[in-house]
Parts: sequence; structure tokens; C-alpha cells
Amino acid sequence: MRALLLSCLVAAGMKAVAAGCPGADSEALAWLDKMSRSLNQVSYHGVVTLQRGGDMQVMQISHAVHGDSTRERLTQLTGQGAQVVRTEHPLSCIHPGHRLLQVNAELQAGRCGIAEYYRFSVGDGERVAGRKAVRVRVDPRDMYRYGYVMELDRETGLLLKTETIGRGNRSLEKFQFANLAFGEQFPATTEVNLVHEAQHPLPAEPSPEALAASAWGVHWVPLGFTVTDAPRDSLLRRTYTDGLAVFSVFLEQLDREIRSGEGVVRSGSTVSYSRGMQLDGRPVLVTVIGEVPINTARMVADSVRWSR
Amino acid sequence: MSERMRESLSALLDDEADELELQRVLARIGDDPELRRTWFRYAAARSVVAGHRLDHLNLDISGRVRDAIAREEAVAAPAGGRLGQRLLRPLASFAIAASVAAVVVVGGQQLAGLEGVSTEGGQAVAGSVSPIGLVNSLGATSVQASYGTQPLPVLQPATRTAYQELARQRMRKYGQEHAEQAALNSPHGLIPFARVPEIRE
Repeated sequence: MRALLLSCLVAAGMKAVAAGCPGADSEALAWLDKMSRSLNQVSYHGVVTLQRGGDMQVMQISHAVHGDSTRERLTQLTGQGAQVVRTEHPLSCIHPGHRLLQVNAELQAGRCGIAEYYRFSVGDGERVAGRKAVRVRVDPRDMYRYGYVMELDRETGLLLKTETIGRGNRSLEKFQFANLAFGEQFPATTEVNLVHEAQHPLPAEPSPEALAASAWGVHWVPLGFTVTDAPRDSLLRRTYTDGLAVFSVFLEQLDREIRSGEGVVRSGSTVSYSRGMQLDGRPVLVTVIGEVPINTARMVADSVRWSR
Repeated sequence: MSERMRESLSALLDDEADELELQRVLARIGDDPELRRTWFRYAAARSVVAGHRLDHLNLDISGRVRDAIAREEAVAAPAGGRLGQRLLRPLASFAIAASVAAVVVVGGQQLAGLEGVSTEGGQAVAGSVSPIGLVNSLGATSVQASYGTQPLPVLQPATRTAYQELARQRMRKYGQEHAEQAALNSPHGLIPFARVPEIRE
């Protein structure tokens, strides 16, 4: 009840500032804001299913807030049986994608932020993992991104279920919690085949050689996408996010000619688009991987240029 | 080469040709260098896909096809006669189509893979207009600007197959690096890692 009241108050506060953004649903934006912050405020663990096409994966997700940092763990219960961990992620570290979702500040500053490229609406949600949910429908305002149906925990704002919707209302991917428990204690770990420590970009000065190698740029991305923090070692990659969708651009310089062409494969909501071409007479292979429509990937790949 | 012949050739290599199409191709392959070149390109693309050797674009013809070529040379040399004559004999099995492909590869002397080796590279394939045109018509001005400076890539069937394989391999190669970023910049926590085909340490 307290949470509901709080979100109403936030919504009321936002309503005033969201007035300048036509079509922006202030209540939905308040939930979005809350969802983004809940990741840093709530400790939980549960079993999550991910459905893509005919394939279903089951994994265990744990997330704990401890002092001023969080730790997370994903354990695959099906398939490869890999585990991904992230430890001591500072609460103060807010990445670009989350800044975009924390729209309150944007609205205060007189910008519409994410409401400019998605239309949000709130409705009654279903029951997910035994929790009452709020449904937030997210419809893209252009054709460069997918839509989503999100179910948020009414009490904490935690994202319980997301369905990615492609053109023609086609469901591309769905993940949801099957059960959920709150608390900092991680469940006992199951049999794991390998453990991967999730990377975290550290601000650092790239070396001059690295900068020279990275003398290329992406000259077009859809409205609202911003570049993410770049780790030191990835000068042949750029990643962009609009807060909900993420895509990465990879450039490979080839040592021989390549016949121009393009290739695409899709898996659920993820697309991998490769384009071989000449950039100022130098043969390159540009690959765009992300949760965006094929045309977005194609147009981004087409805009890659050497910087002068 | 007619569009119909091109289709027959493609069907043959996909084991989808009927007897009539097979006969039509074989009747002409002996004296049509363009047909042989096209067959070579189609066959090369297929062997690449079957052999899974496309890393870093060092296109290497798969060992299986190389063996087939070696066998074919050994058999073909003593048999003598023109290729066309030999192939015009009644054929019962499509397995022969595969050996024809191997002979054509040897005859063509061109194993450069994806490189623009053939002279007909400039041919536009009707109907290969990119969906990007659709985007333009819907008012995406930035596309017009960016596409105005570059011609649309023209796809040849062999290139298309090889490129699809390339995209598949790149998804495996880069999927995890993309997920690292997606995990930090979308509201789903570590879940983007579940999309990675194979997680590496």
C-alpha cells in the first residue's frame, strides 16, 4: 500500500512536468523510473524462464544489495549450465541505459527522454510468480525498435516479465519469473560447468595506438540511442542503447578484397547482420548484433565511416 | 545465361532439381564457360557452408570437396573425352551432380571464394531490391541521406549463402561481448547473457 501511495505521489509530481510531452503517460513513466531503481534497491532470487521461438531456457537469478554495492548471479539450469556473476557493483554506478529510464530527471530538465520514441500505457497486470503485477505496454513510435509488454511487481517495481513484440504483433521473446523470493541470501548453487565474471567498463585513457585503430564512427543511429561506456579493450566495437533496446557494432578490417554483400541471422529478438564492403578502398566487415529490427541493423551498418 | 538456367543450376545444387532440369544443365555445361563459372560460384558457396571454414574470411575449400576433386581427377583422366559428352550419358542419381560440381571447380581454376572473381559480377539480379527502399518511402530522411552516397549492394546467390553463414558465425563470436553491454544498459540485469549461444569464461 505504501509503495502504491508512493508511486501515485511520484506520478502526480511527474504529471506536472510531463505536460510538455504530448502522449507521455506520466503514471507509466513513474513505473519505469521505479523499475530501473528497484534493481539497486531490492534483494531477490528466483527462477526465470526465457522463451525464444520453440526454445525455452530455465535459469536461476539472484540479486543482492549489500551496503553500497550489489552482487548478481545467473545460473543456467538448462543447456550449457554456465554461471555468470557480477560482484561489488557500486550503487553509484548508473550506466547510460538506466539513466535513460530514470526519466524524472529528464522531465525536470524539460526533455521528454524515452517518451519521445516510445508510447507507454499502464494497465492491470496478471499474476506473475505469485505476485500481483502492473502491466506497462511499450509501443515504439518509429520502426527502428521493438515493442514490449512488461509486468512489474506492484510492490517493488521489479520487472517480473517482459515480452518483446515485433512487427505484426509477433512475440519474439518472452522471459518471466516462475518463482520469486526476497532476501539477501543466495540459494545454494547447483552444478555449474563454467563461471564467467561479467565485465565492467572502467574509465581509462586509451593508448594512442588504440585510438588510431579505432578511427571509425557510426554516423547514424535511431533517435534516442546513446553510446554506452566503452571498456578499454573494445575499440573495434561501439554499443548503443535507448534504455530498453541495445545493439553493438563491430568493425573488422580485412586483409583482402571482399565481394560486397550482406547476411542476416535471427534468434528470438536478437539479430546478427554482417555487411562486407569497401570503406575508402579498404575492405571491411561490419557486423551489427542486437535486439533491434533488421532494417535498423542494416542502416546502422551502412553509416559506418572512417573518421578523418 | 538465362534466368531459367540459373534457377536450374541452383536447384541442382540444392538437390531440388528434377530430371529435366538436370538434363538441361548437363547438356550445356560442356560448351558454356559462363555456366561453368556460375556453377563454380554456387558450389564454392555451398562447400563453404558445409565445411564451416569461414573464420576471418580465409575461405578454405572444405576437405571433403578437395577429396572429391582428387578422386574426380583420378577417374576423369583415363576416361578421356569431352566433359559434355561424358555427362550426357543417362543419369540416374544426383550424386553425379556433385561430381560435376567438383570437375567444374577444377576446370575453373578459381578457388578464391568470396572475392569478386567472375566477370559477371556487375549483373543486377532482378528482385533483389533491399527492403531499405521501403524504409525510405516511409519518410526516414536519414536513410536517404546515407544511402544516397552508396549504391545498394547487389547480391549474387553464392555470396548470399556465404554471408548468411558469416552472420551466424559473428553472432557466436560477438554475442557475449554484446551481452556484457546489454546487461549493464537494459532493465533485465544479467538475463541478456541467456541469449548468448555459448558463454565463455
